[in-house]
Amino acid sequence: MRRLDHIGLLALPGLSFLAVIFALPLLLLLLKSFQIDGQFSLEEYRLFFSDEYNMSVLWRTLRVAALTTLLALVIAYPTAIAMSRANGIWLSIFLVAMVLPMSVGVVVKAFAWSIIFRTRGVLNDLLMSLGITEAPIRMLFTETALIIGAANVFLPFMVLPIYAVLRQMDSRLPEAAASLGATPVFRFVNVTLPLSLPGVVAGCAFVFSLAVSMYVIPSLIVGERQQTLSMLTARSFLFLRNEALGATISSILLIIAVSVVLGSSWLANRLGARS
Amino acid sequence: MQSSAGTEPDKRAYLDVVGVGKAFKGTTVMSDMDFRVARGELVSLLGPSGCGKTTLLRIIAGLTSADAGDILLDGRAITRVPAHRRNISVVFQSYALFPHLTVAENVAFGLRARHVPKGDIAPKVSEALQLVRMSDFADRPVAALSGGQQQRVAVARVLVVDPVLLLLDEPFSALDRKLRETMQVELKSLLRDRNMTAIFVTHDQEEAMGVSDRIAVMNAGRIEQFATPSELYARPQSAFVMDFVGLSTRMRGRVKQVEGDVMQIDTASGMVRAPGALGIGTDVTIGIRPELIQQGAGENTITVTLADAMVLGAKTQLHGVSHAAEDRLLCEVPGIQTGMDRGQDVSFGWSVKDTLVYEAAH
Repeated sequence: MRRLDHIGLLALPGLSFLAVIFALPLLLLLLKSFQIDGQFSLEEYRLFFSDEYNMSVLWRTLRVAALTTLLALVIAYPTAIAMSRANGIWLSIFLVAMVLPMSVGVVVKAFAWSIIFRTRGVLNDLLMSLGITEAPIRMLFTETALIIGAANVFLPFMVLPIYAVLRQMDSRLPEAAASLGATPVFRFVNVTLPLSLPGVVAGCAFVFSLAVSMYVIPSLIVGERQQTLSMLTARSFLFLRNEALGATISSILLIIAVSVVLGSSWLANRLGARS
Repeated sequence: MQSSAGTEPDKRAYLDVVGVGKAFKGTTVMSDMDFRVARGELVSLLGPSGCGKTTLLRIIAGLTSADAGDILLDGRAITRVPAHRRNISVVFQSYALFPHLTVAENVAFGLRARHVPKGDIAPKVSEALQLVRMSDFADRPVAALSGGQQQRVAVARVLVVDPVLLLLDEPFSALDRKLRETMQVELKSLLRDRNMTAIFVTHDQEEAMGVSDRIAVMNAGRIEQFATPSELYARPQSAFVMDFVGLSTRMRGRVKQVEGDVMQIDTASGMVRAPGALGIGTDVTIGIRPELIQQGAGENTITVTLADAMVLGAKTQLHGVSHAAEDRLLCEVPGIQTGMDRGQDVSFGWSVKDTLVYEAAH
């Protein structure tokens, strides 16, 4: 027990840093959202939830985050399977392709997407030159563009946890299933997929948390036209000078993030308990 | 069960591996491999790691594709049939139990994959679990089982689907010695009762001798000898087989003289007579099984200094070092021999007919 205490001391610098820089301001923010004139009150929350516009922003934020997570999952799963079976140079190429874009700033990537999506952008030029459409389609400033851009930026956070789980899986398991008469589809549904679920849960938790609180990507791709919770937070603090509203929205975002983390670790535990 | 009489080629083949070749990244693992197994036979592929035995097993199972040749099962070519339609089951070294399923669910897996009606699955599963004495563990997660229990589940999981051929890749290597011997006896009688055709892959010659009717000794992608355990032991066809199957004393020598069918072989430890008629001047390897060497003079005699006398229970192993050279001779005498001192001079003698001779590889 004493030894453990000594080792615990090593965490002290990190803990105190986080406490001062992160936890304390967060706590003050939380307190602010529950106070009116120094009194405890839920009034700010009542005001927030009774406003139809705020509700539409909350709903859009959740919907965009969920669809971003879904799109990322659909793209990431096959990628992760391919990576888990790759070796040598191919694996290196895959990993670099996953990790390198993370070093490119999110602003740059969001701008890149806006170049692709804008009225006379790359995608519209391509569609028109192929004769698929005659006039440019409005893509920038739409929710679809936002979801595609966000899924692209957050893709590594979905691929890597799934890849890690699949890589660990004993390659004899699908072979054993095959030798027991299981078709490729049966093997996938009954062996590979259930065993990869912890990675899927982790990846979804990462991407959903990131997508629910993203600020730069929606600012650049959809702009002010369609607000999300984090854009609304920034607006309340910077333009409306309504700190109480900003604190309230931040707290709501925090609650969403914490429930995603707790929910996913509960789910991962439940999945892990069986194996 | 038919008695298996050595390598007779007229035996009707149930599994027939014809001219199979395989290379990985340009390195040939095996070429022109022929291998036949009769129905109901228990066969072992025995060899050191890297000899190609696991590759051959995987090719038969359909988990690895062959570059050349054909696999015939009961006269039907299955070379291009995918693994899941071959009805050949594999017990892996790691058992490869599904970690997210219970014992019963693991056993039921093959039945579900074959779309056996739900109502028929439960009785089959409980019958299979009973067979391997694992009924009490049906609802446990497999991670909670010991190595021996996991192996039983792996066996139940393949037996329940009634495969046409069972392949076992080092099935006992993860178990400790005592448990391994028990499981070998159990599994052998289980397979016999069901008249199952099975191929074991192993690097352990005792295991191969214990479980199989015939053993194929493999070396560097080739089968050196395919014979019954007793034939393999008594008449190994190459120095490799002699070395790999059972203990033996080995000496190098050169043929000095041939008189009829007996050769005089000059070794560093003295003259040795052996059956055969190789050309004079041929370099040879001589082998003698330790239990065929006696203390005292024989038709061949070499005087040695006793290096060690190890009492192994039912027998005592005498390690001698020859006077003239540093050849190590091994002699096994039945019972417990006491009063032997290290450093003592003794004579090791053996018969001419018990001397195995192989042309030395260059």
